[in-house]
Amino acid sequence: MFLTKEEEKMLSGEYGEAVALAMKVIVKVGESLGAEKLVKVRHVHVSGVSYSNIGDPGLSFIEKLLRYRVKASVYTTSNPTCIDLSGSTRLFNKTLVSGQLRINRVLEAMNVKPFYTCIPYLLRKPGFGEHLAWGESNAVVIANSIYGARTNREGGPLTLFAALTGRTSYSGLHVYENRVAQVLVEYKGSGKLDDYWGSLLGLFIGDMVEEIPLVKGVDTSDFSVLKEFLAATAASGSHGLVVLDKITPPKSYDTDIEDKLVVNTSDLRKYLYETASDFDENRSILVYVGCPHLSLTELAKLSTLVSRYRRLKKNIRFLITIPYAYRKLVDEYALVLRSRGVDVAYGTCPIVSKLDEKPDLVVTNSGKALFYLKKLHRLNVSLMSLDNIVKKVFT
Amino acid sequence: MKEFKIKVIVEGTCKGKPVVIDKRISFFGEVDPRKGAVCIEGKEVSIKDKPLVIRGTRGSTVGSYIIYSLKEYGVAPSCIITGYVEPILIIGCIIANIPLFVVEKYRDFVHYIGRQEKFIEVRLDKEVVVVYE
Repeated sequence: MFLTKEEEKMLSGEYGEAVALAMKVIVKVGESLGAEKLVKVRHVHVSGVSYSNIGDPGLSFIEKLLRYRVKASVYTTSNPTCIDLSGSTRLFNKTLVSGQLRINRVLEAMNVKPFYTCIPYLLRKPGFGEHLAWGESNAVVIANSIYGARTNREGGPLTLFAALTGRTSYSGLHVYENRVAQVLVEYKGSGKLDDYWGSLLGLFIGDMVEEIPLVKGVDTSDFSVLKEFLAATAASGSHGLVVLDKITPPKSYDTDIEDKLVVNTSDLRKYLYETASDFDENRSILVYVGCPHLSLTELAKLSTLVSRYRRLKKNIRFLITIPYAYRKLVDEYALVLRSRGVDVAYGTCPIVSKLDEKPDLVVTNSGKALFYLKKLHRLNVSLMSLDNIVKKVFT
Repeated sequence: MKEFKIKVIVEGTCKGKPVVIDKRISFFGEVDPRKGAVCIEGKEVSIKDKPLVIRGTRGSTVGSYIIYSLKEYGVAPSCIITGYVEPILIIGCIIANIPLFVVEKYRDFVHYIGRQEKFIEVRLDKEVVVVYE
């Protein structure tokens, strides 16, 4: 593999042991993927930072870095963790706090920005053609598909190494020639494409299509719908790029269609029946909204929607999750929501954390949350649009 | 006996009766790092100390740490043979030091192993995986 003089120096240990190790691993990954060189990245987003998910093995792996006193060499942000640093919700398990704070200490000592969110694209918008090294599958698919930026689904530890070196391998979706849609997916669903249908369609495509899809019929301008749709494709599938007709920037991809799939409303209904639980008002319910984290716009919209009601119904809890970076910006919205009984959690989410009490049923508008809460936390999950959720659970 | 061409990603020994999971799995969410088991569709399959054959990976980028955890908890597969690789799987196997191979003709390979428990062995010198009758 071709390395620049600077990269050679990193590899040979001139910048210290940790950078040399990081470089060695990045080169190794690059060689496995057939990369001919490395590429400089402008923004690293570190995933795999939740103590609840990575446990003591992950913690000890990350703490090893602290010993080397290394710093991120590029702009670096971090995924949510398993605790709410603002302390404003009581829904999450408290036993994880000390382990998580040890991980945060390492990240912050490395100069990783403590935004603790899975929507880094809304805190620093990726540029067209910009190379990134992002973990967090929803962020990756959105960076590639909406902004025309270039990143692979980098594994958690690799993002740390990319932060130290400012490099990743020039492979996969970094290379234009690999950004080729091969399956045409035509969505012919009846009715308006909202967060509910977007989530379902995303899960369906993630599950059914392995190659890069070119999706027609998802030409909505509603970012919230696109976000739920793309996040779901990356949860049930391994999509890093989903080309969206009329949305994905031209010249950020190519097409070579070999296969075609038509998706109708009935396909999605059948898929839902196999995937989700029914809504049942008589069970103890946790409503969860904010997977991926809510944007400022979504938060404002939700707070307006909820302000029309008095309170949550009995036996229902309502959790929303937002970036820790928003904690000083959203007091007004948070006040309105809390006054109606909604829990607002910063910098975390129930997927990367553990709930103190298991509800009988989770109701969410997120296909990604459905996928992981079911698989990872063995919860019954029901899918519904945000508008319908609000109508059903407040009085 | 039949040989299948492989690409070596992480070197090491790989032999035994494999566990074949002919699916793309998300190590995060579909693998229990303490039990060393793949949990899909309500079934739990132990992968501890056995060669693991998968079609590929999907899902969260946290998967790399789950692979590392399997090793730390002493319940990792002895090696992994896959149809294709993503960075998530590569990096997980590198830091956990789990031998990792991509088999070129994945379909044929899995088909040949079939339902019977055949013995497999990776030959690094020839870059092949041998399936014994």
